[in-house]
Amino acid sequence: MTVSLIQGDQISCSRVGGAMRRESSRFRQHAQSLDDALGELAAWEGPDADATRALIAATVGALRATAADLDDAGAALQGYATDLAEGHELGRRAARRVQGAGLLLDGSRVTEPWGPASAHEAEQRRAQVPEIQARVDLATALVGRARGRLGREMTRLTQSFSGRSRTAQQPQKAHLPPR
Amino acid sequence: MPAEDRVDPTRLNASMLNATLLDAVAARLARASADALEASHELLTHYPDTGDASTQRAVDTLIDQAAHALGTLTDSLTETSRGLVAAALATSPQSGDSSPARAGRRQGPIA
Repeated sequence: MTVSLIQGDQISCSRVGGAMRRESSRFRQHAQSLDDALGELAAWEGPDADATRALIAATVGALRATAADLDDAGAALQGYATDLAEGHELGRRAARRVQGAGLLLDGSRVTEPWGPASAHEAEQRRAQVPEIQARVDLATALVGRARGRLGREMTRLTQSFSGRSRTAQQPQKAHLPPR
Repeated sequence: MPAEDRVDPTRLNASMLNATLLDAVAARLARASADALEASHELLTHYPDTGDASTQRAVDTLIDQAAHALGTLTDSLTETSRGLVAAALATSPQSGDSSPARAGRRQGPIA
């Protein structure tokens, strides 16, 4: 049995990324529609007109910013899914080479099996280790870098979403016209 | 007829127009609010398997925060929509009207 060299499911990552980007697109349409409506309200004069327009503009701003963050998060997850798929393919090829050469994988390290073998056979195996190890390293490095990028982007966007949640209600209370 | 009881037709039309526009904007905000709420629920139904514990924590935290931000956005959109419904009622020259259409508008945003 071959143990998978690369863990993770690119399909599930791609699915979430796609869902986020669809929502982002929907929110952008809402923001555009509200922007148009704001234009229609430009001529409105009344005691609460300016405050109400400012409130709508602030809400549209929050909608656009959320849409942008969702799009970035979705794109990062889709990009990761692509890298993960490539990593899986490289990992499968490397694992096949390991098996074909009669070697073993210990985590991501290519090792020689224990047990009796002729000197010629052992020498042949040993000679293949560096090249096969390089293939394994290629797969793990590709996915490792992709994970680093995804982790940094997720951290950045988490802070952005968190900040938005904290401030979302503040302009609301300041701008709402009295009822 | 005393001057103060006379209705200026130009002003009446402008007021009606403004009330209608405010209602329309309130309805758009309410639709956006419903979509934001749905999106916040939908996000939490997904589990992207990144294959690495540290990356997984980062992604899970992001999804939680995004869902929370969408929930806050939902509240904000709903509140703005309600504010506009109130403004529309205050602007309308028929604010005392008790017709079903106007009474319905007082109940809150259109989902």
